Amino acid sequence: MKNRTGLIIAVVGVLSVMISLPYYSGAYFLSVTMTILLNMTLAVSWDMMLRTGQLSFGIAGFFGIGSYVSIVAVSNFGVNNVVSIFLAAAFVAVIALALAFAILKLRGIYFAITTLALTMVFSVTIRNMPTLTGGSGGKVLYNTIFNGDTTKIYWLILTMALFTILLSIVFEKTRVHYAISSIRNDEVVAKSSGINVFKYLTVLFVITAMIQGVAGAIYTQQYGFAYPETAFSLDFLMLPMAMALVGGIYSTWGSVIGSVVLGLVAEYLRLVMPHGSKIIYGIIVILIILFLPKGIYGTLESKLRTTRNGARK
Amino acid sequence: MKRSAVLVVCLAVLFSVVFAAEPIKIGAVSPLGDITGKESTRAMQLAVKEINDAGGVLGRPLQLIIMDDEMKPASGAAAIDKLATVDKVDFFVGGMGSGVHLAEIPALKKYQKVTVWIGAADHNCENAVGADADWYFHLHPWDYQQGEGYGIAWTEIAKAYNIKIEKVFLAYEEGAFGTGSYTSYVDFFNQAKKGQGSWAAVMKQFVGASFKSASLGGGDYRAILNQAKSFNPDLFVWAGYDADAVPIVAQAKEVNFTPKLFVGAPPGWPANYGKNPLAENVILYGMWSPTLSDVSPAAKHFFDAYVKMYGEEPTGYFAPLGYINIYFLAEGIKKAGSLDKNAVIKALEKVEFKDTALGEPLKITPSKVVKHQGFKYQKILQWQNGKQQVIWPLDLATAKLVYPFSFKK
Repeated sequence: MKNRTGLIIAVVGVLSVMISLPYYSGAYFLSVTMTILLNMTLAVSWDMMLRTGQLSFGIAGFFGIGSYVSIVAVSNFGVNNVVSIFLAAAFVAVIALALAFAILKLRGIYFAITTLALTMVFSVTIRNMPTLTGGSGGKVLYNTIFNGDTTKIYWLILTMALFTILLSIVFEKTRVHYAISSIRNDEVVAKSSGINVFKYLTVLFVITAMIQGVAGAIYTQQYGFAYPETAFSLDFLMLPMAMALVGGIYSTWGSVIGSVVLGLVAEYLRLVMPHGSKIIYGIIVILIILFLPKGIYGTLESKLRTTRNGARK
Repeated sequence: MKRSAVLVVCLAVLFSVVFAAEPIKIGAVSPLGDITGKESTRAMQLAVKEINDAGGVLGRPLQLIIMDDEMKPASGAAAIDKLATVDKVDFFVGGMGSGVHLAEIPALKKYQKVTVWIGAADHNCENAVGADADWYFHLHPWDYQQGEGYGIAWTEIAKAYNIKIEKVFLAYEEGAFGTGSYTSYVDFFNQAKKGQGSWAAVMKQFVGASFKSASLGGGDYRAILNQAKSFNPDLFVWAGYDADAVPIVAQAKEVNFTPKLFVGAPPGWPANYGKNPLAENVILYGMWSPTLSDVSPAAKHFFDAYVKMYGEEPTGYFAPLGYINIYFLAEGIKKAGSLDKNAVIKALEKVEFKDTALGEPLKITPSKVVKHQGFKYQKILQWQNGKQQVIWPLDLATAKLVYPFSFKK
């Protein structure tokens, strides 16, 4: 009971700090936090799919599609900026659902490579629709969302991150968790236990793609432009993956911790070591993955469990 | 009473000295992991050192605070926020990629500090900045200005050397950079067909075809080179990346394709490209060459000072642009006599350099959208005996055009 109350107080405390951040942090810290929250959303969503045992490299693809649906909706059809984000979510969900029937029959490396190839396919398609998308020259919005009000943009990104974390926790705490863990451990056993493997994979694939599409839409609305190179940049795949790996995969908090740690480390290194910060950043990522194979959260959790068990004995 | 008066005077002197020594802060945002950003910020530091050694500006030293944009839009925007709110800089300078700059523009608009930008050629940036941004000065030519400049250049070269340029072939990489080049060439060709635009006299026929750049997994240009060979162009231009520079010429030699003018238009060239025998007689577009030292005192001063400070030669035009970036701003502040924003804007509008590190004059004129545009055109250079010689502008030429193109034996 005491633990529960403590947890509630901690959650309310953190939420209060996060919501009120624009009132006491400077513009710079807010800007860095927004980038961390965006990467956190992508990292958590990537990990949610990974929990099914399917390694998806399609983050950047869905991110890019979300970016373009949103900017085209606003720029070509005069849709409201906020509404365009919902449109992007719906569009990406439909695409992911259609793709699910084709690619969710693949497993392992075949699924991974196919999702990576999809990013290229999406990017080439966008480049070859210049009338609608601006082609290789990209598209620019002359009025960013909320007229560039960074406080409102921050709250929007925070809402997206919190929603993703909440959804991930719900999946961890409900029977979905047992179903997808079972699929990851042994698909044949899962099937023979009555689990509808395709249904669960489809649900997870569509939901995570939708989150990635929304992240792309918000990113585009925040900065007011979309170029194929930036919208489909593999940075949106590599960074969230590194964050989830550093924090610890197969858990919500692993991705959250990884995003915060790597986000702050990257920014700190950029400030103190303008030349060569990337090298140190890369070395840190490699060292953490080598020496903490379960990630920061996974290692801490194991240590806590060992300590508790020791205390009980 | 006397002692108090002396104390007050001493404090006043001390205060004025401290106040006078307070630096003028300039925030630079550039991609430090890229050669363009590395060299442009080095050149900025050189300019700041020279100005400070000469007594600073308005009796105050300049302080350059450099932030890496990591070639990422979000990092560029965060860098502007940091420089404006944490470092509290007075001015913004720097720049390279258009994609990063587009994300920086909303932040720049938020602070509206006087900004002198040397990167971002994409006209989308100009549109995003808008006509109202009187605090924005852009020194690098916009993409459409560059295209227009090439038309003027080839027309003047054709006349000066009495050569015929009518058939143009563009081989372009299939990505944004190449496709963007192709789109502008198509626009110029459409204008030329009506007898309009800068290309009217030198583009009677035009063909464009795409290839996959070696930097993106391609590297076989034989098909497109054979296509160009059958077209027999007077002017062959390839728009790709530095990774294409050597293999495209090697394969042209292999298929025996020798257009009269062989032009490469990548954003950057491989290091020591000039030492490769295949580079001989290849023409390139650019804003600067070390040989400009022969014709421009300002370019010579910059080149010598850069080599003395860093022990190596700059490899591209972003170095002299970075140097000019600081001198241009410093001259504006000096003319304004204060850091007052409106006074500095008015003064910068009037700054005029007869000669710069790029070997050409600098004067602010309006472009299509923004009020304050610096340089308009690129130069035409040619590799001759391992050196980039200036062919155009004709008054800055450091060597005669080698025509027609042939491979070195």
